[in-house]
Amino acid sequence: MASAPLSDKSGVTPRAGGRTPSGLVQHLPSLVAIGLLAMALILPGMMFESDQRPTAVGLGPAAWPRAMLLGLAFFSALWIARDIWALGGAGRRPTLSMPAEDGEYHFGKALIGLVMIVAYGWLMPIAGFSVATAVFIAIWCLFGGVRKPLVVVPVSLIGTVALLWLFMGLALMPLPRGAGAFDTFSIWLLRATGIY
Amino acid sequence: MAALELLGGGFLAAFEIWAFLTIVTGLLVGVVAGALPGISFVNAMAMALPFTYVMEPTQSMLFLGGIYVGGVFGGSISAILINVPGTPASLPATWDGYPMTKRGEAKRALTIAVTASATGGLVSALMLAFLSAPFATFALKFSQPEFFAATLLGLVSVIAIAKDQPIVTMVSLLLGIAVGTVGIDPLYGQARFSFGVPEMESGIRFVVVMIGLFAIGEVVDLLATDRDLRPKKTGGKAIGAKLADILGVKGAIARGTGIGCLIGMIPGAGATPGAVIAYGIEKQVSKRGDEFGTGIDEALAAPEAAKNATTGAAMIPLLTLGIPGSAATAIMLAAMMLHGVNPGPLLFIMDPTMVYTIFAAMIIANVLMIGAGIGVAQMFAFLMRTPPAILAAFIIVLSVVGAYGVRNNIFDVYACLAFGVLGWGMKRVGFPSAPLVLGVILGPLAERYFLTSMANSHQDWTVFFTRPISGTIMAMALIFMLWSLAPAIRRLIRHIRS
Repeated sequence: MASAPLSDKSGVTPRAGGRTPSGLVQHLPSLVAIGLLAMALILPGMMFESDQRPTAVGLGPAAWPRAMLLGLAFFSALWIARDIWALGGAGRRPTLSMPAEDGEYHFGKALIGLVMIVAYGWLMPIAGFSVATAVFIAIWCLFGGVRKPLVVVPVSLIGTVALLWLFMGLALMPLPRGAGAFDTFSIWLLRATGIY
Repeated sequence: MAALELLGGGFLAAFEIWAFLTIVTGLLVGVVAGALPGISFVNAMAMALPFTYVMEPTQSMLFLGGIYVGGVFGGSISAILINVPGTPASLPATWDGYPMTKRGEAKRALTIAVTASATGGLVSALMLAFLSAPFATFALKFSQPEFFAATLLGLVSVIAIAKDQPIVTMVSLLLGIAVGTVGIDPLYGQARFSFGVPEMESGIRFVVVMIGLFAIGEVVDLLATDRDLRPKKTGGKAIGAKLADILGVKGAIARGTGIGCLIGMIPGAGATPGAVIAYGIEKQVSKRGDEFGTGIDEALAAPEAAKNATTGAAMIPLLTLGIPGSAATAIMLAAMMLHGVNPGPLLFIMDPTMVYTIFAAMIIANVLMIGAGIGVAQMFAFLMRTPPAILAAFIIVLSVVGAYGVRNNIFDVYACLAFGVLGWGMKRVGFPSAPLVLGVILGPLAERYFLTSMANSHQDWTVFFTRPISGTIMAMALIFMLWSLAPAIRRLIRHIRS
C-alpha cells in the first residue's frame, strides 16, 4: 500500500514527506495540558456570579460542570505525567506532537489571515455587513494573491450585493447595518438594490 | 405494509417539483463542496444553514440531506483526480484512485467510485427507511435513564474511534462538555460561567462552535499553504469503466456497504472510520491485497461504498432518538430545532409524512448522485481554476453569516471567531477537534437526561443500571470503553515490562 497520511476527523492531514518539528518544539503542545489543568482547577470557583447563590435542592446546577471539570483536570494531569515520562527517555514521544510540515506553511500569513477574520467580525456591527464584507473580500483576495483590479473589484462588490440580496432580501435576516454614516449608507444601498 | 405505504407517500412528496429541485440543488452543492479541497461537506452544510431559514422544515431537511449525500461522495473526485482528498473520508480514494488516474484510467476510477458510493448510499437509505420505524417504536419505551445511557454510549464511542490518543481525546471531549455547560442550566434555571455577559446566559450554540472550529481553521490553512488545486496532466488515453469492471467489484461493494451501515449507526463514528476500516478489511479479504495502493478496483470500491453507506445509517440515531452521531447529522438536528421540530420516537407518530419524505429524498439523492458525480467530475477542472483566495473569502463570509443567523446576534459571530482561532491552534498542535464538537453537542443532552433521571429517582444513581434497557446500554458503553482503551493499556504494560 502506498504510504498515505491518515487524517483525524477534524480534517487535519499531516503532509507526506514533511518536516517534523524536533527537540523542545515537539514538547510545546504539552503546555496546552498545563493550561487546561489550570483552567479546570480555577473555573469551578468562577461558575456563578458573586451575587448568585446556587440552589441547594438535589444535586444542584454546579454538580455536572464540576464533575466534568474534575474529569478534565484528571485527564490533563495524566497528559502532563505522560509527557514528563516522555521527556525522561530517548525515543519516547509526547502525547501530542505538532503535525509534520512540508516547508510551505507560512505561519505569518496564517496569523495575518486570522487577524483579518477577527477584524471583519469586529468591524461588522460598526461598518455594517455590506461595507465590512466588500472590504474584507477585497483585502483577502489581494492578500491571497489575486491582484487584478478587474477581478477583485467585481468579485467584492457583486459578491457583497448578491449576499445582501440572498440573506437580507430573501432570507429576511437582519444583518448589521452599522452605526452612524454607515447605517445611512446601508439603508441607501438596501433601497437601491430593492431589498428595502 | 404500512411502511411501504408511508414511503410511497414520501416519494410523492419528494417528487413534487420544489422538493425535487431542492434535493437536486442540495446534491449538486454537496458534490461541488465536497470536491473542492478546503470545503468539506460539513462546512457546506453549516454554511447552508441560513438558507434553510426561508424553507419549510421538510424542505430544509431535503436540502441538507442532499448536501450530505453528495458531499460524502464529492471528496473522492479531487482525491481521484488530483490526489487531494476533498474530505477526510475520501483519503482511501487517493491510495488507489489516483494511481488509476496516473495510468490514464481517471474516468474508469470515477465510474467505479460513483457506482460504489451510490450503491452503498442506496442500501443505507433503504435500511433507514425500513429499520427506523421499528427502532423508533422500540425507542418509545425509553425514559430519561435510557436516553442518558444512549447519550453516554455516543460519548464513549468517540473515545473508541480515536483509540490511538485516548487521553487527548478524553481531554477534548470533556472540554467540549464543559463548553456546553455555559449558560442557564436545564433543571434549576441558574446561569453558569456567564462572567457578567448577558449573552453568555443563553449558552454557546454548538453550530457556532462547529462553524468556527471546522471552517475557519481550514480556510486559514488554504491561505497559508500554496496548494495547487489544478488537475495534473496524465499520459495515455482516457479509459472508461465497463459493466464487467463494476460486476468484478460487487463483492467489495457489498462488504463495504455492510461495514458502512454498521459503523454509521455508531454515534460518534462516521464516514472517515467507515472508509478506512472497509479499506483495511478489503485488503485482508482480497486476493490482490498485496497490490493495494497501486490502483486496484476493489481497494477503491470498498471504502467508497462504506463511506456513503454511513449516511443513511447515521440518520437512524438522529431521527429515532434525537441523538446526532456526527457533525453532519448535528447540523441537521440544528436545522430541525430551528424550525421547531424535535426529532425522536414521537416524530414518527406526530409527523410521519416528514420522516418518510426524508427517507424518500435520501433514496432519490443516492440514485441521482451517479449523474451529479459524473457531471461535477467533468467540470472539475473549471472549478479548480477559481483562485483559492476567492473561495476562502466567501467561505469566511458565509461562515460568519451562518453563525450570526443562529440567533441573529453578533455575539455568536464573536464566539464563532474565537472558536475559529482556537480551531486553527488545535490543528497546528495536532489536538483533535471532533471530540470537542461532539462534547458540545452531546454534553447538554447528557446533563439534562442525567439530572432529570436523578431527580425522578430521588437521587438514586443505580437507576441507570437496574432498568433493563438502560443497564444493557450502559454495559455496551463499558464494553466499548474497555475495547477502546485495550490497545493503550497493552502499550503501557509493554513499556513497563521493557
